[in-house]
Amino acid sequence: MKKVSVIGAGHVGAKTTYYIAEKGIANVVMVDIVEGMPQAKGLDFTHAAPLRNYGVTTVGTNDYKEIAGSDVVVITAGIPRKPGMDRMDLLKINTDIVKTASRNVAEYAPNATIIVVSNPLDIMCMVALDASGFALKRVFGMAGILDSTRFRYFVAEKLDVAVTDVQAMVLGGHGDTMVPLPRFTTVSGIPITELMSPDDIEALTVRTRNGGAEIVKHLKTGSAYYAPAASAAEMVEAVLTNEKRIAPACAYLRGEYGYEAIYLGVPVLIGANGAEKIVELDLDEGEKALLDNSAEAVKKGLADLRSFYTMA
Amino acid sequence: MKKVSIIGSGNVGANAAFFIAEMAAAHVTLIDIEEGRAAGKALDMMEAAPIRRYRTKIDGSDNIDAIEGSDIVVITAGLIREPGKDRTEHFQENREILLSMVEPITKLAPACKVIVAPEPVDAMVKIFTEESGFDRKRVMGIGGVLDTTRMAGFIAEELGISARDVNAMVIGSHTKKMVPLPFYSRVSGINITELLDEGAIERVIHNTRQAGNLIVDLAKRANAYYAPASAIAQVVEAIAIDTGKILSVSVTLNGEYGMKGVALSIPCKLGADGVEKIVELKLAEDTWKDFQASAEPIRDLA
Repeated sequence: MKKVSVIGAGHVGAKTTYYIAEKGIANVVMVDIVEGMPQAKGLDFTHAAPLRNYGVTTVGTNDYKEIAGSDVVVITAGIPRKPGMDRMDLLKINTDIVKTASRNVAEYAPNATIIVVSNPLDIMCMVALDASGFALKRVFGMAGILDSTRFRYFVAEKLDVAVTDVQAMVLGGHGDTMVPLPRFTTVSGIPITELMSPDDIEALTVRTRNGGAEIVKHLKTGSAYYAPAASAAEMVEAVLTNEKRIAPACAYLRGEYGYEAIYLGVPVLIGANGAEKIVELDLDEGEKALLDNSAEAVKKGLADLRSFYTMA
Repeated sequence: MKKVSIIGSGNVGANAAFFIAEMAAAHVTLIDIEEGRAAGKALDMMEAAPIRRYRTKIDGSDNIDAIEGSDIVVITAGLIREPGKDRTEHFQENREILLSMVEPITKLAPACKVIVAPEPVDAMVKIFTEESGFDRKRVMGIGGVLDTTRMAGFIAEELGISARDVNAMVIGSHTKKMVPLPFYSRVSGINITELLDEGAIERVIHNTRQAGNLIVDLAKRANAYYAPASAIAQVVEAIAIDTGKILSVSVTLNGEYGMKGVALSIPCKLGADGVEKIVELKLAEDTWKDFQASAEPIRDLA
């Protein structure tokens, strides 16, 4: 049986653990610094196993040693931005958390593939890459599947069609500058540009960009975790089963789309070797301009990171 | 839970029943003219249920009266065209079998939706629609759905990727003149024309057209039944669960795509009422001509 470790046992980490368990493809270890909490959640999952029909183990711990031998490690640890908190302060705190997690992964699970979920994602991927010292393909981030599953749902709702028939492609950074691509968003293969008015498409792309914020607005003191966890579990499955899926993910670019040495959301072939290949789409001018804008925002975040963090 | 009856319990009918059960889409009644065949297969499937965890009921009968009250009736009963047999003769035989079901279906399940599988499927859809007097949107043929799943499989193979991310689109008649649509065939939203070169797309299209024959060649005596059965189950699920799924099914056209009085596969939004909406794709002039030409082999028969 394969092994997956999830760093951070908050809502996203715990739900990711649960979704992986339900797929029945790996034993899961959850690590969190809070004493007792990951243990309790791991135990609770095992109690549900007879009803939910999974035979894998789910163990919570405060000790990084227990991630030893993991095939995949998902890093969800980090704090959300609180009202009044400076963006730079948040960046510093989460950089520290992701750096510690990644160093532990390198020490105890040196053969693992790392999937980063912590925000700001495009920057945290760079921290994880640097702190782990892993190969580029083995460190990538979850955002595009989440952004595209939101876009898929909004399209299905608007057209009153089955969500499973909708495929969507969303590129760019995971934030206000993300780039939903209507030309590559389809219902049973039919581009939504043939099924909806430009105004409706624009409204849905705006809603997708603000998808996370819309949930926060409802919850007030929390953020989304079902869709983020479901997205992370999909990526874990693709790696563990060498599924060779093509999905948007946050990958390290070396010239693809004209960008160097940044992490950015692009279509990625995901398999046993991690982010195995980047698919380069033939973007039109407008799409490329939006992606440039998104890449600029990521570069700015990296400059902020370098102001206090020295890369190896 | 809805009731679906499957007339004909050979490989296609029985596997369709099993897939429907596993999808928890509907209760299934299997029917076969051969005594004990449907009941035996149904019982076998129910005995697998504790392991395979489906909670749908499957029963079987050699009496067609058991279809009474069905929400959906699937017709799979028909003869396989044996090598060397004349096409027209084969058509006439299947036509006779189909016509024998019109009266029991219209009498015992007057409100049902009908899914037609026997070959040549597009001609069978048109005949059943005319003879039953049912609204054309209640009679659907498994042509495009099957060709589509095959094309998706070949695309995944060509790219070396998971078939889960592939959506294909094939319209027109379920013959060698079928019309695969590369622009509407997508991998996670990306059209395959972005991912495959012309030669690879040609191979995909060629393999899709030849898929049925290839299986007959490999299996010698049998024809395909897993993919056809899964295509049936997918259409049953869309109707029984009312999912709004858009699938390429054969339906009698009444002006759509500029065609009338012939059944061809086109993308349709399926739901509780059968075909709830016909999606008209913006076809290029050449493609539209191919689509019209794909009706020729069917017109010859009907």
